[in-house]
Amino acid sequence: MINGIVADIQRASVHDGPGIRTTVFLKGCPLHCAWCHNPECIDFRPQVMYYPEKCIGCGLCDKGCFSGARVICGKEMSVQDVLKEVLLDRDYYGTEGGITISGGEPLAQRQFVNALIDACKKENIRCAMETSLIFYDEETFKKLDLVMADLKIWDNELHKKYTGVENVKIKEHFRRLNGLGIPIIARTPVISEIDQQIAQISKFLSELENVKKYELLPYHPLGESKREALGMTAENFTIPSAEYMKELEKYVFVR
Amino acid sequence: MYSYAERLKAMRDTKIRHTLEKRKQNGYTDLDDFGTVPISEGYCVTPWYNSTNGSFYGYDGMCENFCRVIDAHEPYIDPNEMLCGRWRDMLVNYRGDLHYMPDWLKNNLKNLEFIKNGATNQWSKRWDEQRFPYDHLKPLQAKYNITTGIDGDAHFACDYRIGFELGFGGFLEKIEKYRAINPDKQAFYDAEERCVKAIIAFIQRHIDRLSVMIEEESDELVKDNLITMKRTCENVRLNPPATFREACQWTAFFNCASRIYTRDGAGFQLDGLLYPYYIKDVADGILDDETAKFLIANLLLIDPHYYQISGVNENDEDMTNPLSWLILEAADSINIACNLTVRVHENCDRQFQKKAVYYLLKNKNGWPRFANDKALAEGYMRNGIDKKTARERIAVGCNWMCVPGREYPMNDLVKVNVAKVLEEALKDLRTEMDAGSACSTERLFELYEKHLKCAVAVTAEGINLHLDHAWEVTPELIMNLMMKNTLERGEDITQCAELYTVGIDGAGLAVVADSFGALEARVEQEKLLTWEEMFAALDNDFADERTRLMMNIAPRYCQGGTVSDAWAKRMTDSWVKIVKSQPMPKGRQLIPGWFSWSRTIEYGSRVGATPNGRRAGEPISHGANPNPHFRADGAPTAQANGIASVQCGYGNTAPLQLEFDPKLAADEKGAEIVLNLIESHFKQGGTLININVLDGEKLLAANENPDLYPDLVVRVTGFTAYFASLSPKFRQLVVDRFLQGI
Repeated sequence: MINGIVADIQRASVHDGPGIRTTVFLKGCPLHCAWCHNPECIDFRPQVMYYPEKCIGCGLCDKGCFSGARVICGKEMSVQDVLKEVLLDRDYYGTEGGITISGGEPLAQRQFVNALIDACKKENIRCAMETSLIFYDEETFKKLDLVMADLKIWDNELHKKYTGVENVKIKEHFRRLNGLGIPIIARTPVISEIDQQIAQISKFLSELENVKKYELLPYHPLGESKREALGMTAENFTIPSAEYMKELEKYVFVR
Repeated sequence: MYSYAERLKAMRDTKIRHTLEKRKQNGYTDLDDFGTVPISEGYCVTPWYNSTNGSFYGYDGMCENFCRVIDAHEPYIDPNEMLCGRWRDMLVNYRGDLHYMPDWLKNNLKNLEFIKNGATNQWSKRWDEQRFPYDHLKPLQAKYNITTGIDGDAHFACDYRIGFELGFGGFLEKIEKYRAINPDKQAFYDAEERCVKAIIAFIQRHIDRLSVMIEEESDELVKDNLITMKRTCENVRLNPPATFREACQWTAFFNCASRIYTRDGAGFQLDGLLYPYYIKDVADGILDDETAKFLIANLLLIDPHYYQISGVNENDEDMTNPLSWLILEAADSINIACNLTVRVHENCDRQFQKKAVYYLLKNKNGWPRFANDKALAEGYMRNGIDKKTARERIAVGCNWMCVPGREYPMNDLVKVNVAKVLEEALKDLRTEMDAGSACSTERLFELYEKHLKCAVAVTAEGINLHLDHAWEVTPELIMNLMMKNTLERGEDITQCAELYTVGIDGAGLAVVADSFGALEARVEQEKLLTWEEMFAALDNDFADERTRLMMNIAPRYCQGGTVSDAWAKRMTDSWVKIVKSQPMPKGRQLIPGWFSWSRTIEYGSRVGATPNGRRAGEPISHGANPNPHFRADGAPTAQANGIASVQCGYGNTAPLQLEFDPKLAADEKGAEIVLNLIESHFKQGGTLININVLDGEKLLAANENPDLYPDLVVRVTGFTAYFASLSPKFRQLVVDRFLQGI
């Protein structure tokens, strides 16, 4: 069975879907969003993250770092390895919680993801996915209890400029996914510096009856320290003001 | 204007002012607030010492000094309140221990003269060592850093039904009745009688003061309130309480007396015992829900006794009633440090439990906490106790339960520092290594068990010494009034309890489990370090930071499925086996638990460096909790899983102490998530959950300047405390625990 490259497994997550969840972050994403808060999940290969402030100067890096200064992000894991971790919290999932497969772009590791979902389903664990919808995989989607997907920028050119890919396919995938009858939570990360045309996005999503909720997630700079640790250049976006978020409130919906 | 809301606000403001005043008078205190009010101007007690060591003991010593202290207590009446009575000072302050003495008393030169020559360590004079020495036990008690329980007091629970039935006048009649039957127990009955009369006089002083206040009061509404207060006091001075209000006032007076005596804080099933009064008064048209709520809020303000609500009866039927809901609402309305425990059972009204969680999230004041009815009762039954009794065993202390009126459990008084036990095992292992033997974690565990047996045996000796002689040292003259067999036989409860299921807790679980785990992983499996190098690292207190980190980030307890998780379970099995197999005389038996109380700093100061990368003198782990930074995500589920796996299973607790960031909103979703966590942990066999929902920014700001946040309450362990009253070191411990997500 194929292994996956896992960036991290976070237990007791309460912000990646309903209930208490275990979120599995997979490595690798075809998008390169300038504001990405999980920049360590963009590259498909394991990477070394370096936090110099934690270095104790022992000079024994090659024999293993225990200080947290050099952290390897990305670990090859089998479905069973991941499932074992997911099962640790099965008592806490209740009727709503379960596993959320996130990333990165989970569908970039399609075979692994499918096998993981199958294994979870066998254990009666509810499965959700956070995806960019750059890929469309009906077989996988049909197995899910919930899909959380982003539509980040309405204008195709701007979308390409800031994420590296066009959004035409993403919009089409939204429509097709809507046809499957699976509940969808749609989201847009709010970046003040970009004219994202959130009104347009909201209108588009409101016409898809299975989009049960549309959320706006204000940009936060938590990804910046990781960006530095990866040797990437930091982006200088600002946190959207409370007033701006308030102004946009009219576009969110729950149904 | 004299609305309930305004009066509650004024009462809360007074409480905040008192907290700051007490800080000035007492210095810092790493304890429960206990509901005391500041010492009043001119307050002075001259103690009577009946021992040449500068302390007082026995029926006469305790009785005389109780009377002196309660007689010195001025009445406390706040016209905003409906109930009166507060306490300020307790007997133990006068037992000649400078270390324990509050600053206001130390500054009183007259008292200092009395005791300065005999000033010794904390607690040293609570036990009469001249008559009941235990020098032969001390070397081993020190070796294993045992909190012995010898001299411990008040850690059991009264059956308030007895008091509600008799009243203070009824106590006197009962004393007279049995005095005649037991002529050889005159000293006991004399002491009991004098104590009850002193309480009655305390109530009378409130009545007298109220008379004066009524005369002087011009506001008609306030005057009416004072008149009702006076009538209530008059009714409960000798009679048993007849109404809801009287039951609350009676409880307040009894609790003041009991606190003054031995700082007793065990309450009762609040929605159970008060419910008949509530039903009757509502039917009689003399009580409405708003007034009932105000009275409960007032009672909770007077004293943060440990009260329990909800749960199931012996037939597994839900006991949640309309008063249970009112109690939650009352606690919300006053929102101070409440030691309110919600008993959780699958048969209980889930909406009620969700409401309890909602208040926890909304107020972020550490209340309520949650106890698992099923696991605690079933566990207790494993000691050979029937189900009805087991169901009556309620949460009335920091981490502990007791059968009201019938049990003398010494719960939370007796601790063995297992980190210290490990230290002794390591010494032996090194001796063996120096003599040429091979080292292994298996051998280390054998040595650990050998020392643990020795520690439990010497602890048991101490417990038995206490049980045999406590009546001659610190008889429980006040709590005896509401215990079974006491007045009937003329004996102290320490002599005549129906149940001696004595609690003994291990402290330092995570330090020891992680030490075994680190040794197995780093030394035995990965061979990153030799045993010699490891011992050298302990000797030099981890001078090499890399070595320390290597051991410190080895797989930990509560990460889930790690070597250290396995060691924690093995340690628990071993702890239970050793404690349960310890022979005890006279029908006594020991019950194991994992709990450190708030002594993590003190216990840690006695232990050298440990193989889990903990430096010498650093605090040990808290209760059954994992060590700090046990997981990057700090997952409460991981912690809950781990702690569920180390339950000792005989009715005492290994509490889950959680620190939550308040990102979880106080709404349907937030409450559902937390309730799900509670229910799941309890299904796994967890016993008690203490949750702090803290606003991180507020906590950090309060740590910088505590006086600006006198209303901030934190759940320290099983008890809640005002953050501003804690010592800087202890405040930092709470902050660190929060920052580390445990």
